[in-house]
Amino acid sequence: MKDENTTEHSHPLPGGLIPVDQWKQPEMSVQRTLKDAVRHLTAQLRAGISPDEEPFQSLDDLPSLTDKQIQHIAPHPDSTALAGALLDSLQELRQSETLRREVAVVVAPPFSGVREALVRLPGLGAVSADAESWDLIAPPDNLLMNREEARRWWDEQDLTGPWVIPELADFWLRHTSGFALISELLGRIASGQAGQGLVGCSSWCWQFWDSYLPDAHLGPVTPAPLDAERLGQWLEYLAASRDGRAITARMTDDGLYVLPVENPQDAEKRKHSGFLRDLATASRGIPGVALAIWQRSLRARPEDEMEEDTGTQARGPGGRNCWVVPLDQLSLPAMPQSSDRSIGFILHALLIHDGLDEERIALVTGVGKPELQLALSRLTRADVVYEGEASGRWHVTPLGYPMVRRHLQSWGYPVDGF
Amino acid sequence: MGDMGQGLQQAFSAITWVALVEAALVVAAAVLLIFVIQKLVPKLAGKLGGKARLYLLASVPLARLLIIVVTIIVVVPILVEPSFENMVAIFGALGLALGFAFKDYANSLIAGIVTLYEMPYRPGDWIEVDGKYGEVRSIGTRAAEIVTPDDTVIIIPHGRLWNTLIANGNDGSDNLMCVAEFHLAPNHDVRRVMALLRDVAFASPYTKTMKPVVVVVANKTWGMTYRLKAYPLEPRDQFRFISDLTARGSEVLAADGVQFVSVPVATTA
Repeated sequence: MKDENTTEHSHPLPGGLIPVDQWKQPEMSVQRTLKDAVRHLTAQLRAGISPDEEPFQSLDDLPSLTDKQIQHIAPHPDSTALAGALLDSLQELRQSETLRREVAVVVAPPFSGVREALVRLPGLGAVSADAESWDLIAPPDNLLMNREEARRWWDEQDLTGPWVIPELADFWLRHTSGFALISELLGRIASGQAGQGLVGCSSWCWQFWDSYLPDAHLGPVTPAPLDAERLGQWLEYLAASRDGRAITARMTDDGLYVLPVENPQDAEKRKHSGFLRDLATASRGIPGVALAIWQRSLRARPEDEMEEDTGTQARGPGGRNCWVVPLDQLSLPAMPQSSDRSIGFILHALLIHDGLDEERIALVTGVGKPELQLALSRLTRADVVYEGEASGRWHVTPLGYPMVRRHLQSWGYPVDGF
Repeated sequence: MGDMGQGLQQAFSAITWVALVEAALVVAAAVLLIFVIQKLVPKLAGKLGGKARLYLLASVPLARLLIIVVTIIVVVPILVEPSFENMVAIFGALGLALGFAFKDYANSLIAGIVTLYEMPYRPGDWIEVDGKYGEVRSIGTRAAEIVTPDDTVIIIPHGRLWNTLIANGNDGSDNLMCVAEFHLAPNHDVRRVMALLRDVAFASPYTKTMKPVVVVVANKTWGMTYRLKAYPLEPRDQFRFISDLTARGSEVLAADGVQFVSVPVATTA
């Protein structure tokens, strides 16, 4: 279902799946490296000097896009299309014998959209007649059990046909009684007793289990990181996914082009900005993080805003124009300063479990309820975490994620490899 | 001796009040700079975590040595003409004075310089010297200061370096192995207890899980002794970490019906 306005390379999963050990962080310019290091250092040294958390704020005067405009220019990706692309890529890996196990493990950094895509696998049969019928395996309500109970629970699950676990992190708790379910499952996968399946796993959860079971070599694969080129193609694909209209994006400071991406075959020669490279680096090549920063950096010109209000097209007959604020002018979330460990415990727990409710955060971190509520409240005000409306689970925000990862690393926490 | 005295007389005969004031100003500036560095850098380092903190702390003694050397290089030519004879006279007299009057002090000063080169301990290291355990807070010219877990400052002259065993827990890195001990009554499933204790370490939020977690067991006359070895997130977390491991371990073992042993205490009536 390729749109004629999208480029040849446009794809819900640019770069496809690759073995985990081939993943590389998008290249960073020296200038960006130094700027990031200085910014991180000053953020740490500010401890106690400026106690007020500063949520996101724009440092420019241009009007932001309305939610409606953002949903057209930078919408969230279609998870069903991503699910199909993941299956296609897995098939290619099997054909090339890069993937040989019956159970494929897809490890992805947070905000990669893999969980949301895998949840839709059982419904793919309704979209495509060729699609296999996948059984979704949901975790039990009580994750605290001993090894015998875990064995019995897995025996009760139907692992004969194709099955999918959208997120392995839902099957454990960092507690002495919370390891049994995943230990048992990984044991069965390693010994080939788990049939044909697909397991999605957050990279933070995987990092923990890789340490816990260092001999479990399950050959995980991961989505290729979005470098500047792939990121540009993906953003174009998103912009065209709603109504097929192309997007032209230029920098607010020097007018250089961000989108459309550089194409040597284009008749019109444009000067391109280095924004996409900076964005790929700032987001660590993670689609959800890049999209969140991209949405925050988009700006409208006053006349565009008026046109939108009156319901007319934004610019030009076939496309849209918008403006992009340099990353330096965006104030991204900052870490609230605290002398005790509870904030680090909470953030690390949220990442290795891919989100937790309050009760379980208290259980795995040992942070008392009053302190936990205070810490969550501070982190929420700083735009670092949010509570899912339906699930009641707390998550790190995509905008805050790169900063959270960096702080956890500097505080000595084990971090993911992405 | 008479030649040296004449040499010294000649070397210092050209000193004027202006030169003295100038040299004093340079020394005062150097002392002030060292003071600021020694106060400011540890404060900044305290706000950082991980390796950045250790690097910053380790830079203090090096910066001080650098300032001292530069100050000597600047001050000597201000006071005396740096000819060969003058230098021999001055350093000869200095050597005699140090050799007789300040032997121990000079010993520690020289050991201090060796400390900077060999680095048996750096600021931020957790060391044990003569049964005293603590974190090296600063390395002075003559002595190092360590702070014990009970917040007591202990001054250790660098001269101890020559003839004392120094145990360094983390040796300039942020990896410090901690051990939680469990003394258990015999007649239990040893492998199960080892597995439970390993899970205890992985369940603790203080554990640096990318470093090894090891459980070792030894059979003693009173029962079994388990040693759970793991690394905390940061060396300064070590006591909270061991407490956490001990509390979690005790809880798990009690729930599993494993008994602890305790030494009988003799009491007098």
